[in-house]
Amino acid sequence: MSNIGDDVGRETPVTDFRSMSKVSVGQILGLVEAVDEVGGAADAATISREADMDVDRLGPILTAAEFLGLVTVQDGDIRITDLSRKLLTASVRERKRIVREIIDDLPTFRLVMDMARNAGSPLGRQEVLQALADRVGSHQAEDVFKALVYWGRYAELVRYDSESEQLTVRPAAPM
Amino acid sequence: MEAPLLEVKNVTKSYFENGKEFKVLDLVRFELAERDFVCVVGPSGCGKSTLLRIIVGLEASTTGQVLFEGSPIRADNPQVAMVFQSFALFPWLTVTQNVELGLEAQGRPPEERHARARKFIDAVGLTGFENAFPRELSGGMKQRVGLARALAIEPLLLCMDEPFSSLDPLTAQNLRDEILQLWENPDLPPEAVLMVTHSIEEAVYLADRVIVLSSRPGRLVAELEIDLPRPRNRKEPEFYGWVDEIYSLIV
Repeated sequence: MSNIGDDVGRETPVTDFRSMSKVSVGQILGLVEAVDEVGGAADAATISREADMDVDRLGPILTAAEFLGLVTVQDGDIRITDLSRKLLTASVRERKRIVREIIDDLPTFRLVMDMARNAGSPLGRQEVLQALADRVGSHQAEDVFKALVYWGRYAELVRYDSESEQLTVRPAAPM
Repeated sequence: MEAPLLEVKNVTKSYFENGKEFKVLDLVRFELAERDFVCVVGPSGCGKSTLLRIIVGLEASTTGQVLFEGSPIRADNPQVAMVFQSFALFPWLTVTQNVELGLEAQGRPPEERHARARKFIDAVGLTGFENAFPRELSGGMKQRVGLARALAIEPLLLCMDEPFSSLDPLTAQNLRDEILQLWENPDLPPEAVLMVTHSIEEAVYLADRVIVLSSRPGRLVAELEIDLPRPRNRKEPEFYGWVDEIYSLIV
């Protein structure tokens, strides 16, 4: 597994995957739109008030949106990016493609994707958790797994059957 | 001349208890044409959800009539679909199975059911979650399943009863935009949308026309054409002008 990569060096990988596992695409898009409506920049307190969400609920959405490159957050000021402007005007299909490009590049996800491709048969949940634990520590393997299943399904990269707990890679679909 | 898609003609609804009459709707009348997006707003208890249930044929009016394409409405009308506030999904069925339910009830063959389910699951952005169970989905995703199930029967009229009010505000806004995308897409159903909401802002954001009801009994107070261009910005003065006007009609 030589192609494991650059997110190891990130400052807060723990928080990132935890946030990613807690929030939905709809919340992130809603956040981007809320900031766009007030001119593309807003302080977090304003958005928190308008969205009627306290910092405990808004925090993970902001963190995940930042992690995905859809907003920048500095000193409590939220700004949308060019990528999120593109997302706002995109159709449901195009949105998936954009998110797919972002998350396809995340090395921790890629680790699992490569594993699943190389295995040639479905991967069991425990098997994936073990591989993730070796990489990110067992304390956050569950969060990464949950985030992978949710975002991987959304981006049409993986299939997961929660009854049999089997994960497979979807054949690349034209998007 | 062709009949309008939907005609609500002087609908009155009363409940009787111990010989006393409780009137919830009083002589409500309006029409809906193809390509309309109409929102019904009013204070809580104005009977707007009851009105919607009468319009889809789930409840009978006391007097008055609801006509769909010129004929009295029936509950099993395949041209009308409903989306509920509570999502109304079966927890033991997957996304695909939940979406196929309405098609099964119509007795459609399996291949057609699968193909239609696939098409509408994709249209609402749920491809990837086909075999997920409701418990694995966020609120917004659950309501997308409700929407895909309603659209899969390819209705002319989509009725929605407070579809966003169990969702957090960010998710709700995202879903509002996606509903507009679907409605604006000429290749996909529905032709017209009728939605009940307690949120005036939501009505002004979505609708071409807003029907305002008074508090109990619900009477038609106003019917307003919202002529703001789309996409609408909830922060613009014109937008707020409409919201203010409707508020002043209700309170």
